[in-house]
Amino acid sequence: MPERQTILGLVDSIGNKEQRCVDIVQQYLDRIQQLDKHLNCFREVYAERALDQAKKVDKQIEAGKDVGPLAGLPIAIKDNIVTEFGNSCCGSRFLENYKSPFTSTAASRLINSGAIIIGKTNCDEFAMGSSNEHCAFGIVHNPWDSNCVPGGSSGGSAAAVAAGLCTAALGSDTGGSIRQPAAFCNVVGAKPTYGRVSRYGLAAFGSSLDQIGPITQDVKDAALLLKILAGADEHDSTSAQLPVPDYLAQIDTPIDRLRVGVPSQYISEYNSDAVNEAVRNAVEVYRDQGAEIVDIDMPLTEYGVAAYYVIAPAEASSNLARYDGIRFGKRAEIGPDENLTDLYEKSRSQGFGPEVKRRIMLGTFVLSAGYYDAYYKRAMQVRRLIKEEYDSAFAKCDILLGPTTPTPAFEIGEKTDPLSMYLGDVYTAITNIAGICAISLPGGFQRSNDRLLPIGIQIQCNAFDEQTMFRAARMFESQTDFHKVQPELAKTGNL
Amino acid sequence: MCRPGSYDPPMPDAQITSTHLKIGMEIHVELATRSKMFSRSASTAHPDQFNVKPNSLVDPVVMALPGALPVMNKRAVELSMMVGMALNCTIANFSRWDRKNYFYPDLPKGYQISQYDLPLCFDGELEITSSDGSIKRVGIIRAHLEEDTGKLSHELPGGGKYNGSLVDLNRAGTPLLEIVTSPDLQSAEDAVVFAKELRNICRFLGVSAGIMQRGHMRFEPNVNVIIKTEDGSENATPIVELKNLNSFRAVHDAIEFEHERQINAWSDDGIVQAPGLKSTRGWDDTKKITVLQRAKEEANDYRYFPDPDLLPVTISDQWKSEVAASIPQLPMQLRLRYQSEYSLSVVDARALTEERDVCMFYEQCVQAVDCSSITQANAGLACAKLLLNAGARLAREHNCQIHELGISAKQIAQLVIMRIDNRIGSSAADELFSLLCATHEEAQVVAKSAGLLQVSDEKQLNEWVEKAISAQPQAAQEYANGKDAALGRIVGEVMKLSQGQADARAVGTLLRSKLWGS
Repeated sequence: MPERQTILGLVDSIGNKEQRCVDIVQQYLDRIQQLDKHLNCFREVYAERALDQAKKVDKQIEAGKDVGPLAGLPIAIKDNIVTEFGNSCCGSRFLENYKSPFTSTAASRLINSGAIIIGKTNCDEFAMGSSNEHCAFGIVHNPWDSNCVPGGSSGGSAAAVAAGLCTAALGSDTGGSIRQPAAFCNVVGAKPTYGRVSRYGLAAFGSSLDQIGPITQDVKDAALLLKILAGADEHDSTSAQLPVPDYLAQIDTPIDRLRVGVPSQYISEYNSDAVNEAVRNAVEVYRDQGAEIVDIDMPLTEYGVAAYYVIAPAEASSNLARYDGIRFGKRAEIGPDENLTDLYEKSRSQGFGPEVKRRIMLGTFVLSAGYYDAYYKRAMQVRRLIKEEYDSAFAKCDILLGPTTPTPAFEIGEKTDPLSMYLGDVYTAITNIAGICAISLPGGFQRSNDRLLPIGIQIQCNAFDEQTMFRAARMFESQTDFHKVQPELAKTGNL
Repeated sequence: MCRPGSYDPPMPDAQITSTHLKIGMEIHVELATRSKMFSRSASTAHPDQFNVKPNSLVDPVVMALPGALPVMNKRAVELSMMVGMALNCTIANFSRWDRKNYFYPDLPKGYQISQYDLPLCFDGELEITSSDGSIKRVGIIRAHLEEDTGKLSHELPGGGKYNGSLVDLNRAGTPLLEIVTSPDLQSAEDAVVFAKELRNICRFLGVSAGIMQRGHMRFEPNVNVIIKTEDGSENATPIVELKNLNSFRAVHDAIEFEHERQINAWSDDGIVQAPGLKSTRGWDDTKKITVLQRAKEEANDYRYFPDPDLLPVTISDQWKSEVAASIPQLPMQLRLRYQSEYSLSVVDARALTEERDVCMFYEQCVQAVDCSSITQANAGLACAKLLLNAGARLAREHNCQIHELGISAKQIAQLVIMRIDNRIGSSAADELFSLLCATHEEAQVVAKSAGLLQVSDEKQLNEWVEKAISAQPQAAQEYANGKDAALGRIVGEVMKLSQGQADARAVGTLLRSKLWGS
């Protein structure tokens, strides 16, 4: 097996003409061919299209033409980010053969930078899930242990990057869907500030929470990708009209006297020991670099999940109403004596999986007359309080340091109770509630039996302060080797 | 005794002493923006798109495809503000978009983007001139902006039955302003006056073409009757919302029908208005009756919540004043001005303000009368007479509007000046009006070449008068003997001889001096 290579590493070797794009793409296609039957990361692979584009890039390079910053790099995108080529299924039976007539802004920006979209990755249906067990097209396996989940909902993207099936991938994060699988698969996953990246072309789940972001092998690649993805978009009113800094510019310069906030709530009895240990270790990594460690109290942390599981399903129940069987997607057969309501009920019953149905029902309930005040309105009030809590925290520190998840990857089929699955989002969902940015970094391993399972460290930063987030993340990464550790599978091709 | 919602018949001795209608209006106005409310797709309410094929005005946003997002059309907000201002509403400083959730095939997203508790405009009023001549105030509760739905059809385009339902999404997403009035209207006539006034305001503002048959404006009266009885009690019948009213005639007739129907219904069952009793009835324009559509107000739960895809709308004072500055004079103000400044009759002033383009043309004509010997007031009156006589008649003949006849405002002004200067007679003026519709030449030039100029030359007039007297000796004799009525016959003869060019007034003077010798 050839070595897994970062984007920045490949950009150099392509630029120096050490490697042809077409060969690089072929290598990745071969790896997918060889490994994905064990992992099921990909929903679709665009082999022919990818090779055609690689040939074009090679010609341009030969002709001495300017190629984009991502020229020739195979990047995967999550199945809920639409493109005008291939199918865009959102992990749902409902959209099994759905072809979008337009391409999302995020994918367009990658393509315009020369990236080659190598395929779409499996995800939990409409991004609802934390394990990829709710994908209509099969469970994705964790490259570190095929009995374990890769996390979710961007599990296919994270597993593909970890296994070296693409240089990087796009995920979407509504309550942790980029960061949690990144943590489970030992890769870097960044959730940008709400409004930083256009949502145009991302099938909506929770519109006030959704963000597209990069899943990469290291921090620099994430910074590079976000620089390309970020920026205002006339197709998305909620995209921020703010300039995008060059996140790579000072990335290797440590921040002088960085104030690292460590909320007491983040090191907890609900975390596994190894996770708490990894956080303590991370604190020391920063302390060693002259950072000031600040004790922070964030008592609302435990209410994040509750607020999230009211607001996100409420928005989802409305966002998913368009899947009605009238214009596109799944349309059930109905008998001559059946009516419009039957068509709706059957199409949606047959097209949606159990988790999506659960959340639609939850969301419909919390918005209903008589319950709105007790649930949706209350959750929005909690949301405001949480924002205020973050505001006062960021008055005292530059970053908040903690774990991405309470435990490493769990086994497929282990969590049968939805609630216990939801509680795993305690450190991630609250970031989306606050609308700020966060990144998950490889931060250690938990050894149990003979298995090595990755642990993710999360850095949260204030809204639109991705620059600090990346620099602080790089400070940790530069002093640690966790991100360089690869699963056996990626090194040897063997499970 | 009549308890709310009870089914006890009224007391037999409760003789009705009076009844009066109570009418509130809900009006939907499709705003004629170029693109739709939340997408770039062209809008069906814009005149450029009146006759397009079904499902040709769609895009990912209209179709509600995965990943599509709404983007607010700022112009639609401005047009709504204009209507709100014309209706003397308060314009909100802060407004927002809410989702109204329900399933229907004409609603692609499964929710309608609307405004729930923070409408753009609220607390307004419109004064109308009631059918009895009095001025009446109609309260405007609110005016909020939303998007229209698509259309369902069970017929193929161009006719022909179809065994199923067809969806046309051309209308889906068209900006729709919903205006709600207080129940201040008291007769079918006043309801129509209000409706027409509102349509004219919309046309003058240029926010809608206002063609009712196309559904640009949809009026839905909420009607009930207050019945007073001998024993002094007042009974309000259950409120009925009337739909499918595609003309002013239908608005009028449906309300009249309801007036009678509700009195009869009350006499039969004694049911009075109570929460939840409001029903919906559709107007059958062929049978001239209302038909029950929905018996009771359904407890629809639309699960409104703020749309997270759209930012709230903040309206600055500066934006408000910019929009206010763009509002032209409105029909009511113009009518009052024409009556007081130009001495136009109420009927003429109304006729000139029925259509915005006609009114604009009239204004141009008055402005174009550039002559020191004519006051603005005289110009206003003369232009009005010319447009409403010769102009209106020709427009009827050609089945068009006055401003579309081909005659320019400048030509009208020239014609008015010629008439006031007595260079042309009244019948020749009508003829010249008609000729000017087909040419860009100056009125004077056309009148001359067509021989329409009035002749006041005494020698020429004398010649015609002599000839006329010889041709009508009997009439001349009668007139000389003091029979005034005979004069007309001789003048007519002169006009015939002069082919209408003779100055009728000068001819009269000449005849008097000749035959009476005075």
